[in-house]
Amino acid sequence: MALSKIDVANMLTGLVPNDNTIRRPNAKPIIINGDMAIAQRGTSATGKTSSGYYTCDRIQFVANDAGTHTVIQETSTSGNAYINGFAEAYRIDCTTADASVAADSALFIKYKVEGRDAQVFKKGTSNAEKFTLAFWVKSNKTGTGQVNLRDEVNTRQCSATYTISSANTWEHKICNFAADTTGALPSTNAEGFGIEWYLAAGSNYTSGTAPTAWEAISNADSAASLNLAISGSTDNDFSLTGVQLEVGEYSSTTLPPFQFESFEDSLTRCHRYFLYTGGGSAYQHHGSGVEVSSTAAYMTTPLSCPFRASPSITANNTSGGIVIYDGNTESAVTSVGTTNYSPNTSLVNVAVNASGGGIDDGNGITVYSNANSNAGFLFDAEL
Amino acid sequence: MIQTVKKLNNPVRNNFEGYEITTIEGTKISVPLDEANKDYQAIQEWVEDGNTIQEAD
Repeated sequence: MALSKIDVANMLTGLVPNDNTIRRPNAKPIIINGDMAIAQRGTSATGKTSSGYYTCDRIQFVANDAGTHTVIQETSTSGNAYINGFAEAYRIDCTTADASVAADSALFIKYKVEGRDAQVFKKGTSNAEKFTLAFWVKSNKTGTGQVNLRDEVNTRQCSATYTISSANTWEHKICNFAADTTGALPSTNAEGFGIEWYLAAGSNYTSGTAPTAWEAISNADSAASLNLAISGSTDNDFSLTGVQLEVGEYSSTTLPPFQFESFEDSLTRCHRYFLYTGGGSAYQHHGSGVEVSSTAAYMTTPLSCPFRASPSITANNTSGGIVIYDGNTESAVTSVGTTNYSPNTSLVNVAVNASGGGIDDGNGITVYSNANSNAGFLFDAEL
Repeated sequence: MIQTVKKLNNPVRNNFEGYEITTIEGTKISVPLDEANKDYQAIQEWVEDGNTIQEAD
């Protein structure tokens, strides 16, 4: 590869030149699962009134008293997003409307960038970088949307607006955000900053002015330019895909191509934040271990990617759906006990309980689904 | 949404090693003692709101 540029001035000062083609060669995209291809939690979640991670990995549904919605991993076979490589999208359908959202209520989509992945923006330094956020969007509603970068650590935010011009049509949007020389982001496994696409909001979030420069967080500014009101009617929906975050300022003519990752690479990166061991065969294997009492066993599960943090664990369908087998007896898992996980390691150890007994202290065991392809363990290390 | 929180003990050493959240939907979640875990953080906020954690069984 030919060396295209030597910045002698910055070599002398020690600064890295603000040229993204030099700084991030072969780097993975900052946004994980930006093409919405990975949905370990399932492809549809109905009746959602509160915040959580539903369907597409890494994408958080944030709702507070703003109607009821179905969250879907939408699949497409046509349209502008599809012909640009995006067969999946994160979609929100309003199923029970809230036509008059209360002052302190809001609905938005959030992506949280881990602190370690956010350092490339050099936020809080004299050499801070601008941000460019690109995405595909489709809605039955036309109007102005507002998207915010939110730094909870330093209580700072910056906003951009975009316009949905045509109903039910995929449109590509590019939003530019200023650099911020104030407020360094943590270089840890904690949240660095978040990206928030507001979809509906009450007056506590709309009474200010959308900030195009970084400012101290003011909730009144968070949705000040928004006029979509997705929760306002059961006719409404909002779809998002192709989310791309770049270092520096780009336009529609200079934006680098979306970096598609292989399904395997994207899934592995998602596993840092969430792993579901089910959803495969009816007798899916979840881990192996040893019995430690008449009612409990330790199960060790191998990981394809170290967790961001020690995970929370839920057993999906415990009533006979998952069993401990010690070579003699199948005992139904009734609950999950304590977890042992060390940072940056590739095994997690979980206590699994069979309250009805039937297991013996000291035997080796394997844990698997019992004729139930939906049974499995949910390991959640999300931000 | 948290309904109750109970301490969990290690099944071998019987020492306190985690929490079990029961959500208002009835889902049970095992939560480690890790300040970086979002459910652990949610438990701390829940306690700050005046709620009480149950002792282990």
